[in-house]
Amino acid sequence: MANLPRRRFLQLSALAAGGAALSACGGEGPAATPAAVGPTGAAAKGDITVWSWQGPAAMMKALVPDFHKAFPGIRVDVQDIGNPAIWDKITAGMAAGGQGLGDVLHIGVDYLPAYIEKFPGGLADLRPFGADRHRDSFAPGMWETVSREGKVYALPWEANSAGFYYRADLFEKAGVDVEALRTWDEVIEAGIKLKEKTGVQLLGIDKPASQADSANLFQMLLQLQDSFYFDMQGNITLDTPQAVTALTIIKRLNDAGLVADMAGGWNTMITSIKSGSVAVQSMPTWFGGIIEESAPDQKGKWKVRLPPAVTEGGKVAATVNSTHLAVAGTSKVREAAFAFAEFVLTRPESQVAIYKGKGIAPALMSAYDDPAFHEPSAFFGGQKKGEVFLEALKQPSYVTNYSADYPRALKIVTDAQSRVLLKGADPATVLKEAADLIAQQTGRKVLR
Amino acid sequence: MTVLTQRAGAPPAKRALTRRGRPAGTIAPYLFVAPALLLFAAFKLYPIAWSFWLSLFRTDGALQTFAGAANYRRLVADPLFWTALGNTGIILLVQVPLMLALAMGLAVALNSPLLRFKGFIRLGFFMPMVTGLVAYGLLFAILLNPQSGLVNWALGLAGVDPVPWLTDGLWAKIAVGLALTWHYTGYNAVIYLARLQALPKDHYDAAAVDGAGAWHRFRHVTLPGLRPVMLLTLVMSTIGTLQLFDEPYVMTGGGPDNNTMTLGLYLYANGFRYFDFGYASAIAYALAVIIGILGVVQFKFLGDKP
Repeated sequence: MANLPRRRFLQLSALAAGGAALSACGGEGPAATPAAVGPTGAAAKGDITVWSWQGPAAMMKALVPDFHKAFPGIRVDVQDIGNPAIWDKITAGMAAGGQGLGDVLHIGVDYLPAYIEKFPGGLADLRPFGADRHRDSFAPGMWETVSREGKVYALPWEANSAGFYYRADLFEKAGVDVEALRTWDEVIEAGIKLKEKTGVQLLGIDKPASQADSANLFQMLLQLQDSFYFDMQGNITLDTPQAVTALTIIKRLNDAGLVADMAGGWNTMITSIKSGSVAVQSMPTWFGGIIEESAPDQKGKWKVRLPPAVTEGGKVAATVNSTHLAVAGTSKVREAAFAFAEFVLTRPESQVAIYKGKGIAPALMSAYDDPAFHEPSAFFGGQKKGEVFLEALKQPSYVTNYSADYPRALKIVTDAQSRVLLKGADPATVLKEAADLIAQQTGRKVLR
Repeated sequence: MTVLTQRAGAPPAKRALTRRGRPAGTIAPYLFVAPALLLFAAFKLYPIAWSFWLSLFRTDGALQTFAGAANYRRLVADPLFWTALGNTGIILLVQVPLMLALAMGLAVALNSPLLRFKGFIRLGFFMPMVTGLVAYGLLFAILLNPQSGLVNWALGLAGVDPVPWLTDGLWAKIAVGLALTWHYTGYNAVIYLARLQALPKDHYDAAAVDGAGAWHRFRHVTLPGLRPVMLLTLVMSTIGTLQLFDEPYVMTGGGPDNNTMTLGLYLYANGFRYFDFGYASAIAYALAVIIGILGVVQFKFLGDKP
């Protein structure tokens, strides 16, 4: 049973993460002979520090006792630096030539290209420690994401698909069948109905962009249309019909009064879940765990599906992002650090434990054989939540080039979105301005 | 009087002390200041010089290529730099004078002989200064939260519509200004108060004898007397405002749509978000030049004339 989904998963994740050489229809692929899983590292010694954030940090902490048993020579200190604070802290450490960095660094795909390209030597090449033996344990596309010019800079952890979490009880009250919604046009109609019947707004956005990640919905709508801020060549693709369509959907949602202001970012969003002030959280795989943890009393009220398509018959699956464990290039205990990353990411039991704990979806293929991913979830109304996202991973997904200039582009995009949401600006105009501004600041070309 | 004349006779003993000076003695003071000088050189001088050097490079993280004045040319053409400068300028022109006037009024009131519980009240006004920058920024962000903040709730009780603190460009600027005023007014008031208490009482007595009322005494005795500290507080507040970072960072993140973006925030974003250390250094030097020019201007107009 596990074999077929796995093979498809492999093929499609290859597409997802940009394994250019890998064909989607190529039979067995390189995963036909997966390497022996689990760390085989030597008896490395030393004290290592691990930098991560919130949920993943807690999960790694929980794995430490087992790790100490397996590697008595290594002591691990997992630190919850917080997200987004961790990016500033890693940058400062890299800029200081690696001084004060943790040994193991948890890095999102949005920052990984910048660290690899802008700080040569900042992240250790993991091949000398035998990272290559795990190449086929992950989706091959994932391996492309963490590799550059033959070097391997990290081991993949999460593969997150776009999701559409919703309060089934509220929609039921409004008489809306959420599973039947095919496009975002229908979502807007449903949202209007929902607001009329229940007084609850459809979803929330950090309108003034008080936190850096306020463009999540916009990005997802782009990725569902096989588009992003940059194309694979690094050209700016914000002055495109796809981008205008995405931002126009957000404007229409807002103009219809369906968008709650989540100024304050994360904390406000969590509060809104607890108080039930919005009915939809259009967030990736890992967010299910956050909802479950934030509002345990809402058990049975939530459900999840893949997001509706942007246009009739369009895509409903997108691998929106991934995260990875890297080893600092200046770490004095790189081998020990790698042993820990390997222990966390290449043993199915570790990843299954993490999935059970926080709902974080692994890129490690063999983990999906575990029944944990195929069980009905009591919190999500008896749905097989894991299979919903596994379904997404099986579908062809768009290759996202975050590029090393992502942080700068993100800031400019969120400002443009703020102008639309707060001042009613025209999506096409603000996106054109945003594209030009990114070009001015980065020297990249705008594709029009 | 007798005490003074006795003191005046003391110098011989002092001279005897200095005569004991030896070569070793001339080194000693340098040894004493050496640690401070070394620390200053290592943590101030070196970064300042290095930052200028860096501002001449096109940097991309750890990759650097010499680019001469390219970063400065880029600065002039960068709309976000001008937005940040404009925002900082508005806060400087509006918030600083208001705050200093408030501080002065507060200082005069706190100095009034009619006031009871002086120590307690002074402490009350100075306390905000002790609060950590991030802590009070967070506090204001929570209080001013448009949906769940206490301030809008209280305004609601009074029948006022919720104010879009932090989400509207103008209100966000006002919110940052309010936070700054809350934090620094007491601090400036204490400086004014210290000066007020050092003003010779006989000037007031003389003015009173000449028939000057309260306003005239303030206008012609207090204000001229406060002049040196007015310069001090003005220069300090100007420098502080131009370097403004913590409050907008915590409260608004520079938003919405760059309405509270300051030079400090923009510098930080370029260095630590975009890995563009050369450009960030150029912003820092532009900032230093602006602070220098404003400082000179303020000294010229408010400083003691020779």
